[in-house]
Amino acid sequence: MIGLTNRRALPVVELVRCTRCGLPETYETIEFDTAGVCNICRQKEFRDAAIDWPARRQQLAELVESYRGKHEYDCIVPFSGGKDSTFTLLYLVREFGIKPLVVQFNHGFMRPTLLKNNERTFRRLGVDVLSFRPNWRVVKRLMLEALVRKGDFCWHCHTGIYSYPMHVALKYNTPLIVWGEPSSEYTAYYDIRDDAMEQVDETRFNRFINLGITAEDMGGMISGDFEFDPRDLAPYTYPPVRDLRRLQYRSVCLGSFIPWDTKTQAQIIQDELGWEGDEVENMPAQLYPYEKIECHVQGVRDYITFLKRGYHRVTQMTALDLRNGRMEKPEADRLVREFENRRPPSLDIFLEYLNITEDEFNSIVLNTVVPPHRPDFDAIKPGAKTWDFDLWWREG
Amino acid sequence: MIGIANLQIGNLRSVSNAVDSFGYDHCLVESAEQLDSLTHLIMPGVGSFHRAMRNVSALGLREPIRDFVASGRPLLGVCLGMQLLGSSGEEGENTVGLDLLAGEVRKFDRTRVESIPHVGWNSVELEADHPVFRDVRSGVDFYFVHSYHFRPADQTSVVGFTDCGEKFVSAVAQNNVVGVQFHPEKSQANGLRLLDNFCGWDGSC
Repeated sequence: MIGLTNRRALPVVELVRCTRCGLPETYETIEFDTAGVCNICRQKEFRDAAIDWPARRQQLAELVESYRGKHEYDCIVPFSGGKDSTFTLLYLVREFGIKPLVVQFNHGFMRPTLLKNNERTFRRLGVDVLSFRPNWRVVKRLMLEALVRKGDFCWHCHTGIYSYPMHVALKYNTPLIVWGEPSSEYTAYYDIRDDAMEQVDETRFNRFINLGITAEDMGGMISGDFEFDPRDLAPYTYPPVRDLRRLQYRSVCLGSFIPWDTKTQAQIIQDELGWEGDEVENMPAQLYPYEKIECHVQGVRDYITFLKRGYHRVTQMTALDLRNGRMEKPEADRLVREFENRRPPSLDIFLEYLNITEDEFNSIVLNTVVPPHRPDFDAIKPGAKTWDFDLWWREG
Repeated sequence: MIGIANLQIGNLRSVSNAVDSFGYDHCLVESAEQLDSLTHLIMPGVGSFHRAMRNVSALGLREPIRDFVASGRPLLGVCLGMQLLGSSGEEGENTVGLDLLAGEVRKFDRTRVESIPHVGWNSVELEADHPVFRDVRSGVDFYFVHSYHFRPADQTSVVGFTDCGEKFVSAVAQNNVVGVQFHPEKSQANGLRLLDNFCGWDGSC
């Protein structure tokens, strides 16, 4: 592998950004109109102005009623314990009084505050819970392969989160699956201007969730140097559509039926369930204590995005606030400058998991940089540890 | 049970794969006795009108298919299968069709259509609402391969038109019978939606 010291320093490129929310041209699915405003901002305008939300809410009520009491559970709620799935579970139980099966795909990085939140939520709401944690030895190998292939080590988590609950739906003969936030809040893989609801199905799974790598592909990619049982990859495999269709499944997002508002919803789960936020590496904790608190390598994911695409989750979160008129642009710019170019302490732990050096990590990430962005390693500053850093799993 | 007529003129696998993925039970239909157990019949087809009708007769299916339609159960004709619904066709030699829809099957006019056969993706402009086209928008593309087209005598049966130099009827429907000149099984999401709609349709409009 080529060490970074051998690379010629190239000038940093100024990225084109949305004049309203600040998202850059390297953001997935982004397009700008003649006013320089991005399609995700325009989608939001449409969402607020043109969707008939009372009618959508009524559709949800009818959907829930059509499945009530007919199967082993009224619905499956895939659950991480983050703000979206917690709100979804609370909303469904409180608004409709349904009996859900909560299904948790434990990616292996759950943080102490999250686990405490989960415990409190499950006890207070009174729900049945299934938690599944896949083979860690396999997870580590999958993370390395996905990082090398795509510069995105989260393949095992994203495929598992979206496929495993579908297997459970089949096993428990429960056809209704209700997810939280639709992807159209952040990206334009689905054009909500069609008034077509985002179906959380195999098409969506193959469109962007699995990064274009099926579990079968992954098996072939790692088989040369890694011993595993083919069944180890079953949790990451989407179940046969025929089986789901025979179950007459419906897999929808709550956010397709009610206007999604993360800030307000985070407040509701805090008030009603005692849900607690947490600090996340290289994020302004005071502003966004409710975002992505579920994973102790989230800081590494955000760091990779920064190296690959020239923006970080601070940009994504301030974009949401700018779009919602909750923040002024100078404040967003200040936060981005302060937090975005920092190396997360969790990188050390992550490198241990993957058994690679930081130079190797940087070289891998450099192979997946999205032009015209070029990362500037010299400008990276150290980030601060979060309170629970010493509690995270260490290899060795 | 969804029946897929096997008229021994090719391409059934794409249709059966699609129906299978929707979760329905399905079978290939090669004899009249099988029609009794069906809820729906799909008649795919690639080949010539004359040869196809010869096979329909040889299999003893002409009257049983007409009886199937008379029973009110839904029938979908695809490509040549749509053409066979008509009264007659001129491909091969002048041949009598199933005569479920009045009209003739004619070759494209060479002076107007630059390239025959008409092959590839082309848009279907919908003229009427129909349950089999639910959630399919007017103007979206479907996949075509054909040199002949059906000209219905009754214009009220027209569901959609396509223009390939000559404007022709690409979708037709009357009561529980639907015909499409394109190949929904080869037309990605919109085509699959149409097939799925058909499999769930009770035959009423």
